[in-house]
Amino acid sequence: MDFEHELAHHLIDHKLFHFMVGPLDLGLSPLILTMWAACAFLVVSLSLGARADKSFSRSVMEPLVLYVRDEMVEPIFGHHTDIYLPYFLTLFFFLLTCNFFGLIPGASGVTANIAVTASLAICTFLLMQFAGIKEQGLGAYLAHIVPSGVPWWLWPLLFVIEVFGMAAKCISLCIRLFANMLAGHVVVLSFISLIFIFAEMSHVAGYGVSPAAVGLALFIMLMDVLVSVLQAYIFTFLTILFVGSSVHPH
Amino acid sequence: MDKLIFPDTGLMFWTVVTFFLLMVILKKAAWGPLLAAIEAREGRIKADREGAEKARAEAERIQKELEARMSDAHSKSKELLAAAAKDGEALRARLKAEAEADAQAIKEKTAAELIAEKNRLVADLRKDVASLSVLAAEKLLRKSVDDGVQKTVLDGFFKDLETSKASKN
Repeated sequence: MDFEHELAHHLIDHKLFHFMVGPLDLGLSPLILTMWAACAFLVVSLSLGARADKSFSRSVMEPLVLYVRDEMVEPIFGHHTDIYLPYFLTLFFFLLTCNFFGLIPGASGVTANIAVTASLAICTFLLMQFAGIKEQGLGAYLAHIVPSGVPWWLWPLLFVIEVFGMAAKCISLCIRLFANMLAGHVVVLSFISLIFIFAEMSHVAGYGVSPAAVGLALFIMLMDVLVSVLQAYIFTFLTILFVGSSVHPH
Repeated sequence: MDKLIFPDTGLMFWTVVTFFLLMVILKKAAWGPLLAAIEAREGRIKADREGAEKARAEAERIQKELEARMSDAHSKSKELLAAAAKDGEALRARLKAEAEADAQAIKEKTAAELIAEKNRLVADLRKDVASLSVLAAEKLLRKSVDDGVQKTVLDGFFKDLETSKASKN
């Protein structure tokens, strides 16, 4: 059994068909379908919860929405909260739902794909620029990228370093979410693969090792539930921090 | 495995499009109504709390006013009581003085009457004694004397009486 091949087969998103538009291959894949399913679920349950006062989805979403608004966005954005709140709420619920959908057997790990996390990190980066220019004006924003009180001859160097720093923040966002979510899948797959690796030696060993392998895989899955919530929170919170720092330079 | 860490541009395109569509739809369908409901509820709670605070302030104001009025009434009643006591004292003093004056007047009048009575009695007695003496002298002299003589005799008699009284002393 080629373990690496098996892993790659399960973790890499394979297109169902190819549809080339310029350099982009817009063909659909299981990952895209899973992502759309998660979005459809979100749209239905959240709009239901927003309208029905006593519904189950309302009682789940309201504390989360209030937490994001009052504990995460409001302390940093203050009176700008209302403008940026929909973005952060959508980001948090999107990540949370995609993380959870990725745990469903048969579905693709949406956030365990670097293209997805990179896209969201790029959105964060663009939002940082947009918010900074919108709240401070272009000139003031560019001037505030470098901390004040720097000697003039250091300014160009620091400007480049700070811009790279901003990009690095977003790259770290991308890799953190991708690696955390992927690791869970890799470990679960590895435990399940143990059964087949042992089964190639002998059937008895395969059956013998399967309870332990399934138990460990289940344990990792449970931990992944925790990691899903945690990573959705961390990604959203760091995005809020980064965008907040470009809204308020000091 | 290289494919695992090289992002697929088509997937990135779909992710960005999906995410932005999701944001637009959720903003209209979920966040708007939900945040509006939450804000309405918060506004209602705030209004309720402000109303309750206002009512409490009003109650406190009324209580303070009542207390002020009570203490006012208390001091006023104390004042009235003191004034009444003073009036009573004055009245008592006046009545007492009047009674004393009345008593004094009665005493003086009685004393004056007594003196007058005494004088009258003394005069009566003196007249009686004189008549008796005249009667006795008449009897003694067996002769009637006219009023003029009688008076002369009487005067002489009294003069003798007084001289004898003086010589006795």
